[in-house]
Amino acid sequence: MEKLEKLKDVWKKQGESSIKFSMEDIYGMVHKKSSSIVKWILIISILEFVLPNLVYIFTDHDATLKLYENYDLNSITKFYTIIHLIIIVGFIYVFYKNYKNISAESSVKTLLQDILKTRKTVKYYIYYNLTIAAIIGVHIFSIVFNSEIFIEKLSDGTNMIIVWVIAVFLLILTLFIFWGFYRILYGILLKKLNRNYSELLKNE
Amino acid sequence: MTKELEKKFVVELEKNQNIIHKVCRSYTNSEAAHKDLFQEITIQLWKAYPKFRGESKFSTWMYRVSFNTAISLYRKSKRKIETSQIYDNLKELEYQDYDDSHDRQLDLLYEAIQSLNDIEKALALLYLEDKSYKEISNVLGISEVNARVKMNRTKRKLKNILNP
Repeated sequence: MEKLEKLKDVWKKQGESSIKFSMEDIYGMVHKKSSSIVKWILIISILEFVLPNLVYIFTDHDATLKLYENYDLNSITKFYTIIHLIIIVGFIYVFYKNYKNISAESSVKTLLQDILKTRKTVKYYIYYNLTIAAIIGVHIFSIVFNSEIFIEKLSDGTNMIIVWVIAVFLLILTLFIFWGFYRILYGILLKKLNRNYSELLKNE
Repeated sequence: MTKELEKKFVVELEKNQNIIHKVCRSYTNSEAAHKDLFQEITIQLWKAYPKFRGESKFSTWMYRVSFNTAISLYRKSKRKIETSQIYDNLKELEYQDYDDSHDRQLDLLYEAIQSLNDIEKALALLYLEDKSYKEISNVLGISEVNARVKMNRTKRKLKNILNP
């Protein structure tokens, strides 16, 4: 290790960097926009909070309302909407609190933990969305499949078990695609952070 | 934020910019990336500056924010860094006339540091800067025992790279 000690002299004797910025350059930099991962996490998270709810705006409301009335789904959709809104507000509050905690002045470990915690809130939000979509899906299927209008439309001899299997399969497939897409996005964004965090925690 | 604060910050940063350059050179391998990381560190330092109370030395505080940016916050961007270029050209000229044995050793040292992982890079820099284990554990947020274990491993790795 003696050679390494000698390297300290080499290190200490290094002159100024070949790249050097003037005060004018630094003034310019101060006013530039950050492109830090935290900014991207914030942007992507806001999209993740907003996008699932945008689906509602682009649906044909009259047709949807008629469908709800036909199948007597009004009260059940109202119930789920209220629950969903309360939960969203809760998630946004926790996300914002975690986000505000992120500081470049923390220790490396605390900063990594705080960023990952912020991201985790959105991860749970996505999982919540997938779970609630599955619950609502199955609930609505059960109401629709047992309604007279639906049964009347079925041809004689239709096996209800097959109808159920197809419906649940399509539901699972849709949710799985969403989950896979999310995992890829999440994996790319946090690869470096997760790697550094586990490296830091080794032997702790 | 007042103009006065901004001026004070720019003056201090200009004076201490070598610290950031050391971090940038260790964490990047091209001039464009070096400048981009420098830019991001400057932004993070400026954002944190109003809270800087002078409890630690300005240079120690700079190291902390610089490591945090390089390890956790930095994502490569495509922004163009416009600089006056005067210094770059000036230094290139100096470099051509200079006895290269010291610079060669320094280049090799930086190359070795660049081949380490992000956490080890921070450890290597803190070691070369003669920081105490207490300070290292404080910057990284790990126990002193773990800092020692990690430091020994990093030093061994550095040694192997430099003396295969």
